[in-house]
Amino acid sequence: MTRILRSTARSLTRRSVLGLLGAAPAAAALTSVGLRASRAKAATGQLNIYSWPDYFSTADLEAYAKKTGVTPNISTYDSDDTMFAKVNSPAGAGFDIVIPGSSWIKQLAAKGLLEEIDHGKLDLASLDPHLLNRDYDPGNKYSIPKDWGLLGVIYNPEAVGGEIKTWEDFFKAGEKPGVSGKIRMSDSGWETIGPELWLQGKDWNAVGEAEIRKAAERLKAFAKHVKSFSGLDANALANGSIVLAQTNQAKARAAIGLNPKLKWVVPGPWSELWVDNYVLIKDAPNLEQAYDFLAFQLRPEIQLAETEYIGFPAALNGLRDKLGADVKDADLIFGGKDVDFSKLTSFVVNPETVGFYSQLQTEIQAAAG
Amino acid sequence: MTAERAYRSDWRDHAMDGGLVLWYAAAVIFLFAPIIAAIVYSFNLGVVNKQTAVLTGWTLQWYPAAWHDLSLRRAVSASLVVSFWSALISIVMGTLLGYAIVRHPSPKVRRFLAGFTYMLLIVPESVIGVSLLLFFAVTRFPLNTATLVAGITPMAIAVVALVIRARVLTLDREVEDAAADLGSTRIATLWLVILPQLAPAVAVGGVMAYTFSFDNLVVSAFLTTARINTLPVYLYGSLQYGPSPAVYAAAAAVFLFTMLLLAIAVLVYWGTRRRATA
Amino acid sequence: MKPAVGRSAAGRFNLRHASAAQTADHFLAGIPTLWLAIFFLAPLGFTVVFSFGRSTFGGVALDFTFANYATALSGFYGAAFLRTLVFAATASGLCLLVAFPAAYFIARHTSRFRLLAITLILIPYFSSFLIRVMALTMLMSREGFLEMILNALHLHQGPLDLLDTQTAVFVGIVYAYLPIAVVPLVVVLDRIPKGLTEASRDLGATRWETFLLVTLPLSRPGIASAIMLTAVPMLGEMVIPKLLGGSRGVLMGQALSSQYLQAQNYPLGSAMAVLVLLGVAVIVGLLAWVTKGFAEVGR
Repeated sequence: MTRILRSTARSLTRRSVLGLLGAAPAAAALTSVGLRASRAKAATGQLNIYSWPDYFSTADLEAYAKKTGVTPNISTYDSDDTMFAKVNSPAGAGFDIVIPGSSWIKQLAAKGLLEEIDHGKLDLASLDPHLLNRDYDPGNKYSIPKDWGLLGVIYNPEAVGGEIKTWEDFFKAGEKPGVSGKIRMSDSGWETIGPELWLQGKDWNAVGEAEIRKAAERLKAFAKHVKSFSGLDANALANGSIVLAQTNQAKARAAIGLNPKLKWVVPGPWSELWVDNYVLIKDAPNLEQAYDFLAFQLRPEIQLAETEYIGFPAALNGLRDKLGADVKDADLIFGGKDVDFSKLTSFVVNPETVGFYSQLQTEIQAAAG
Repeated sequence: MTAERAYRSDWRDHAMDGGLVLWYAAAVIFLFAPIIAAIVYSFNLGVVNKQTAVLTGWTLQWYPAAWHDLSLRRAVSASLVVSFWSALISIVMGTLLGYAIVRHPSPKVRRFLAGFTYMLLIVPESVIGVSLLLFFAVTRFPLNTATLVAGITPMAIAVVALVIRARVLTLDREVEDAAADLGSTRIATLWLVILPQLAPAVAVGGVMAYTFSFDNLVVSAFLTTARINTLPVYLYGSLQYGPSPAVYAAAAAVFLFTMLLLAIAVLVYWGTRRRATA
Repeated sequence: MKPAVGRSAAGRFNLRHASAAQTADHFLAGIPTLWLAIFFLAPLGFTVVFSFGRSTFGGVALDFTFANYATALSGFYGAAFLRTLVFAATASGLCLLVAFPAAYFIARHTSRFRLLAITLILIPYFSSFLIRVMALTMLMSREGFLEMILNALHLHQGPLDLLDTQTAVFVGIVYAYLPIAVVPLVVVLDRIPKGLTEASRDLGATRWETFLLVTLPLSRPGIASAIMLTAVPMLGEMVIPKLLGGSRGVLMGQALSSQYLQAQNYPLGSAMAVLVLLGVAVIVGLLAWVTKGFAEVGR
């Protein structure tokens, strides 16, 4: 059987399988007519967003609805990879705005799923330059940062018996009695293997299969100390069933709110910065509405309100100073006072290697159980 | 009958009976504890808008918060609608299937149907989800509520079919044969003779189909669209960043609402029964 | 002895109704079969076709290669499959152990309140399952309700580290599948005539002997149904091991799903799915053959 020809840059699942029916050109024309026609018929006054649940402040959404009469319709996903699978399929039709993590933007663009952002329509000048023009989307061709997070470590200094400054400290601490068996690591292959790659001085976006496998060996040996790879519960940290965990700064803030003795650190030599972004879907049915919504969301006062609601910092420049004095542990929202952005790297999903990261994560989890 | 027993119930029998009662009671408590806990936690203050295992304070704010969260509200109503239709379709299809597994004249067909039904339960949901997604892609069927319902039904149908099958096996064949002798067609026999006897099994099967559809997560995650999202998909996604007590409030409200509907249905049923026997 | 279509037990043959009855039979069986063929078999057919293809990261290039099957049969996934089988068998057994006495109580000791007894077990299921599992984690967490109770009853001392363990997963699974196991057991236990157990006791058997030699064998079909309804879906269970077990160890559900989602490798995922299907079908077939197709005892 021959490889199915792609008639356009559209996703393979939509088009190539039609080619299977031996009707590639005709079917392609039909689908493009069919899909576009149905999209053009979509009523104005709608906006479809695909996002994490509870990721927009309800007060802001109501304010937007009052202002424009349009209530955004938000569908939710439970992980970035489900998001990618859906957007890359006909189930993704009808979405206007999607909120992908930074790691998937390059692949979404490569599949031709994203609409290029018209920078003339939106003003990105108010955003923090550290978050713009990053490796995962040079020039912000397709994405606008919504909020961001860091991969760091939260730990109980008494149980760990010291400070953690680097990922080596993390691994060493994990082997101690009293800490072993009470560790939480990430369920994403690159976040678990990444620290070892960084310690070896490697770039997780530039390594090949051999290096990833070699780094994973250490993690497989370490896995027996790990209690959980699932979503971290702040309560577990507060009551001591987990004393050492990889997590993001918002979870850490919630845990410290329950147990102020805990400490948070972004370990060296490198760590991860992830950014959740607004992207526009190609042939979105309500493109104008989407731009209007994005302009609204980029307003400084809205970004401020969103930060307070979801606990993750929006991309606004100078946001720290704008936060009210009554916000608890405000520094923690930003990952602490002295976060060095030059030591942060964002993961970009690479079809050649992501399969290995994912496979090895499965093996690491198997080694733990 | 009992007066003619040759053995006497002794203390061991009574102890056993007592033990069974306790076991049943423990099972019921075990099953109820989490839903009661969820209702209690819906009044918990939480910390930085997230739920906590320790009760940090009492508040009613999460109920209006859940109402104002349009995404959550729509997910709840979509779940109710989808599970209603899925249960309806599954009851009809499942009853027919369960009946056919037992009563179809050809043993080959019976074996095929039975194997087919079990297969519906064997296939992992993620496989079903992806296959359906790609299937609708190729057939260029637009994804909407109907496709979501259709995607959930196979597994619900299997559940209903197995419950019905178990019940049909207990039915007396001779009654159906008598009906046939008296000139009843197959369908009339089904409707007038068998179905009334199956009624409790249909009810139980229907309940199980409804709850299965309402809680369906994996297939739904693949088949939800821009316009329709379901509650389990919403909840599962909220686990990543931590749910707020608002989702507990939403779940508690839905549960109480469903209980109310059930109570009304039961009262109506009793009312008609009483009138029929009066 | 099954009377043929249109023939009554007395042997009278209703010619007029024979063919009409046959059509009706086929029609009635055909409706669900058609529905399922469209919404289940056809999509599965795609899975089989894709399992021979090559991955284009989120799509499939149609091809005819066995490479996916080779990977899927590799040591790691084979071990994961076996581990999942053991897990499902154990969890299903546990579930049945808990369900049986409850079902026995409902079937043999309630008559007027039968419906109420079953309803009580089913009521919690009218609320969202995920919320209940989340509440279960809170109850089982440290300084949670369960710890309080166990400490008060002096069954346990100090903090309870139950979450993220295999035990917690089994608790969650039993919780989730209990009513599914209870219902077929109630159905079958209900059918065992009280006279039989009484006769056995009359003849001098102890309660335990009666149970083992009379009740248990007669409830075989119900037990088989309950096992099928619980063990088989447990093979694909992903949510409870993640929420209550900390995602440790690896089960087929998670391994499959990660191929489809994280690795975007549809062909490999499909090959794994086909193998799982075949493996389970073989096991179920063997079980059916050993227990003679879950046939009713004494029919």
